[in-house]
Amino acid sequence: MKLKDQFQFVRQNIKKNKIRTFMTILATAMGCAFLIVLASVGYGLQQSIVNETLEDQVVTKIDIHGYEEENGNYRSLTMEDIEYLESVEGVNAVTRRIQLRQFPVYSIDNFQTEAQTVVAHFPSEIESGLELSDGRLPQSPDEIVLGYHFSNSLMEESAEEELYDDQGELKEEYRYKDELIGKTIDMTVKKLEDNEEEIQTTPLKVVGILKEPAREWMQDRNVYISQGILSEVEAFTGMIRGAASAEEELDKSYKDSFDVVNVYATSLEEVKAISDKLDKANYATYSVVSEMEQINMLFTIAKAGLILVGTIAILIASIGIYNTMTMAVTERAPDIGIMKAIGANPKTIKQIFLLESSYIGIIGAIIGTAAAYLISFLVNLGLPLIIEMVFKEELPDGLQFSAIPGTLILISVGICLIVTILSGMRPAKRATQIDVLKAMRREI
Amino acid sequence: MIHVKKLNHHFILGKKGQKATLPVLKDISFEVDKGEIVTVVGKSGSGKSTLLNLISGFIRPTDGEIWIDNKKVTDFTEAEFADYRLNHVGVIFQNFQLIPSMTAFQNIELALTLKGINKNERNQITMEMLKKVGIAEFQDHYPGELSGGQQQRVSIARALVLKPPIILADEPSGSLDSETEADLLEFIQKLNNEMGITFLIITHDEEVAKIGNRTITINDGRLVEGGAVR
Repeated sequence: MKLKDQFQFVRQNIKKNKIRTFMTILATAMGCAFLIVLASVGYGLQQSIVNETLEDQVVTKIDIHGYEEENGNYRSLTMEDIEYLESVEGVNAVTRRIQLRQFPVYSIDNFQTEAQTVVAHFPSEIESGLELSDGRLPQSPDEIVLGYHFSNSLMEESAEEELYDDQGELKEEYRYKDELIGKTIDMTVKKLEDNEEEIQTTPLKVVGILKEPAREWMQDRNVYISQGILSEVEAFTGMIRGAASAEEELDKSYKDSFDVVNVYATSLEEVKAISDKLDKANYATYSVVSEMEQINMLFTIAKAGLILVGTIAILIASIGIYNTMTMAVTERAPDIGIMKAIGANPKTIKQIFLLESSYIGIIGAIIGTAAAYLISFLVNLGLPLIIEMVFKEELPDGLQFSAIPGTLILISVGICLIVTILSGMRPAKRATQIDVLKAMRREI
Repeated sequence: MIHVKKLNHHFILGKKGQKATLPVLKDISFEVDKGEIVTVVGKSGSGKSTLLNLISGFIRPTDGEIWIDNKKVTDFTEAEFADYRLNHVGVIFQNFQLIPSMTAFQNIELALTLKGINKNERNQITMEMLKKVGIAEFQDHYPGELSGGQQQRVSIARALVLKPPIILADEPSGSLDSETEADLLEFIQKLNNEMGITFLIITHDEEVAKIGNRTITINDGRLVEGGAVR
């Protein structure tokens, strides 16, 4: 018997018991919708958390916090480490920064500010994606580059009124408004010795301003000086990294090492392999990918739990399918007997009943999926409003309670189909075992 | 064509622990040749219908062998029996055994559908068969809307539609009046002459028994006459 004819047969049989079939399909649809909606909460929250995490970080960046020595202590990274890191396959750039151990005062005309001062390796910074918004990179030791927001903190020395606004930002009228490129700015560092403060002022030429950080909330007020200027400050204070006093002095092991080292992979796919390799080589690493792995692992467990709970709903619906199919077999026993008497293969009879239970499963899954999408849409639309009204709390932008990816549909429809087919198995087998003579005598 | 060898059959009666056996057929042996019409007669309860059910494969014999076209059907699996019933034998039942929710046309078409024949061919063959049995105008009628004779014609058409070489008929005129019975017997003889179909007809009706080339008599489960081919 051809599949097309079997399907036609099933449709005719279903038509005979429209209400019973409809109710069974409804139960299956409800089970399927429940499963999808329940799991969609896991998917939605995961998506929201992952998106939020990824928004705040550069995904190809791996932070290297140090190197673990045989005795278990960590040491900061040196040029030797940088060379090794650069040699690792898939690494695009290795940025390294050294921070001055004091906040020098920068002054220009009658404006001044204190700023964090950094020595950066610009070729690698450019490779990693750092860009200038104006000017050029330093070419001589006394040339510097400023962070995009540096000028916002330059304020008039004589100002005595309230300088800052509600957000803690320097008021517009006290800010330095002229162009900084090409100007000379004085860097004043200090040293404290025997309670006596001594200062040294170095004139530096501003040649470039970095691009605004991609994240709106990030502020870059740094001053990027050369290694030569750092050495001058170190010579003046007599301490590593130019610390101003003996209390702030660093251990000698920090000499010729870097404070911040970041590895940039060529692509997101490379990050995991590079992290694993560096971890094996005793480097302490952190990347957003490893954080993602932990988040995803947690959510995978949560989603599996939710799918399992949702499957129970489908299992309950399967009892209805089992009942419907058993009734169908009992009702049609005389017809099955006649079909067997004229030559219907037991396999064909089994296929017809399995097709019928699958038909119920498929229609139920389709209706359930459509209902789940509608419920998911309403949950995403209505739940934030309800929470805001009831708990008076504003939810973060882009928070999604429910998300239904294609994989969830595949999993749910797959579970629904497997359960419905399994619940139709026994009645279908029973149909093949019907005794022809008893069935024809209407004894079943 | 049909060769029954030392066939024995008994039914098991009663519940577990209190079972009793009821012998129905005892040492039955006979042969039916190709193109013969063989009638099997005997009193009620003599085992005629059980014999037909055994040859049809609806029940398995306790002992003995049944060979059809040199194939030992008593060794067949369920699937092989299904294939055998679909392709080698047509069965006509006393009470027609039509599916009540199907029209006359659909009942006849069912056998063709089970064989996997496509829709257009099915329509053509079914119409031809409806005309041949003389009930073309009742094709859209359900069994409940047909007379006993018309229902038996649908049943015969269903058994013949796949052109099986053997027809097994159990009391084919049992539910019919004498006039319809005469029509039916004439039709059976016509099919036998024109198509060379072999008939094994179970009956207790003497008129029906007369159309056979040979009559086998069964009494109390034993074959008493007509076992050998003439």
